[in-house]
Amino acid sequence: MDRVVVHQVSKKFKIGSTKKASALTQFISLFSGKEPKKTIKVLEEISFSVAAGEILGVIGKNGSGKSTLLRIIAGIYHTTEGSIETHGKIVSLVNLHLAMYPQLTMRDNIYFLASVFGLTDREISGRFNHIATFSGLEEFIHTKIYQFSEGMKQRLVFSIAIHCDPQILLLDEIFEVGDKEFRFKSAEKIKGLVRDGATVLLVSHSLDLVGKYCDRVIWMDGGRIRAQGPAHKIIAEYDPLAGN
Amino acid sequence: MKQFQRILKLSIAIAKAEIKAKNEGSYLGIFWYLLNPVLTLLLLWAIFFPRLGQHIHHYPLYLLLGIILFNFFQQATTEATRIIRRNARLVKSINFPLESLVGAVILKTLFSHLFEIILFIIVALFLNVPIAGILFYPLILILFCLFCLGACFLLSSLTIYLIDLENIWGFIVRLIWFATPIFYAIEGQTRLFFINLFNPMYYFITITRDILIYSRPPHGWMIAAAICYSVLFVLIGSRVFHKLKIRFSEMI
Repeated sequence: MDRVVVHQVSKKFKIGSTKKASALTQFISLFSGKEPKKTIKVLEEISFSVAAGEILGVIGKNGSGKSTLLRIIAGIYHTTEGSIETHGKIVSLVNLHLAMYPQLTMRDNIYFLASVFGLTDREISGRFNHIATFSGLEEFIHTKIYQFSEGMKQRLVFSIAIHCDPQILLLDEIFEVGDKEFRFKSAEKIKGLVRDGATVLLVSHSLDLVGKYCDRVIWMDGGRIRAQGPAHKIIAEYDPLAGN
Repeated sequence: MKQFQRILKLSIAIAKAEIKAKNEGSYLGIFWYLLNPVLTLLLLWAIFFPRLGQHIHHYPLYLLLGIILFNFFQQATTEATRIIRRNARLVKSINFPLESLVGAVILKTLFSHLFEIILFIIVALFLNVPIAGILFYPLILILFCLFCLGACFLLSSLTIYLIDLENIWGFIVRLIWFATPIFYAIEGQTRLFFINLFNPMYYFITITRDILIYSRPPHGWMIAAAICYSVLFVLIGSRVFHKLKIRFSEMI
């Protein structure tokens, strides 16, 4: 069964552009703060599907449309053209660590984010210890989030997400920060979820991680799919061009 | 129905987090909910009682109730103009019913409103004014919340497309504050009365004063107008919000 079907999806954004603005427009913008806009195509005719029990890696340079693609699948952005079909509960981790309340404790943020992911208070209470233990941050339950490092925040949001019954898990550069041990533990957990029928879309710059855990890989370039196929093959094509 | 329950639960969760975050680090914490209306009451009473309040029966309560209800409207609508942008990171990270952000604004305001109502009861008891009418207050409050919810839906969505509205709204609220009979009585002022027929706050404040302070039934036409404004605002507001929310995540 396909959990995610992306069919001929294109996405356009209006972005600020002052490059070719007239002198008058530039003068007005000093007062109004309103800048001229231009339309850019961020995604162009993207088509693929991901089956239940599959991990799909998405690689590409910054600005190639990876995060936008995840947001469209999550239903955060709407498509300009084309259609998206999803089957199952979507849990998205696209810069989620930035959405926590910094002045609240880890405990409060667990309750808050898990509620947004659709869990009831009783369910959260039942899973609270698992979330805290998996994140490895049990001793910081009553610590406020602004005192956490970026890595700690990522660990926490990942731990919350995987305990919210995801059937489609969208991960955007979640393992770029954080230690090796947690990365390994998380990857094992993802494998477990996938064995139970979940689908994972993993956006990452870490080719080792993508190569090790993803069944298939999509290589995004300038808003288009440049190549897709078995992980080792696509990474081998991408690596010499990646420049890192 | 299921979606409504989800929105309500999420609104409660967001409101809880927002209330905690607001009071975090504050020395007086939730006491500010009482201090603000008390200080405003004392200030307005000192300024307006000698000239405008002497012919108004139970002027301190008249003034306090006006302040409390207007505070609700002002707090909720002002917050609504910022709520989507303030939660931009959450909106861009997770797909969740955005209506719950607006719902949370109302719940959060309702929380502080309860403290203000307790303050009103204390002052009424102190002045020996019977407050049996408070039993009917929940009915008015439901209507008032619906009206404010509609206004918040409108403002929160329109501000995303017209950012200047956030600043303009501060001025408009001040205008409504002066136009609404909060610290003065409207009787005998035909022009002001005519203007206030188009001011929903006038109906809610007058009905509440009639019931809570003067223990008399409000005029039927006033209740009808309050119901009409509530239904109209919530219908139009939710419709506009539903239509515009599609592009929120892209515009913030």
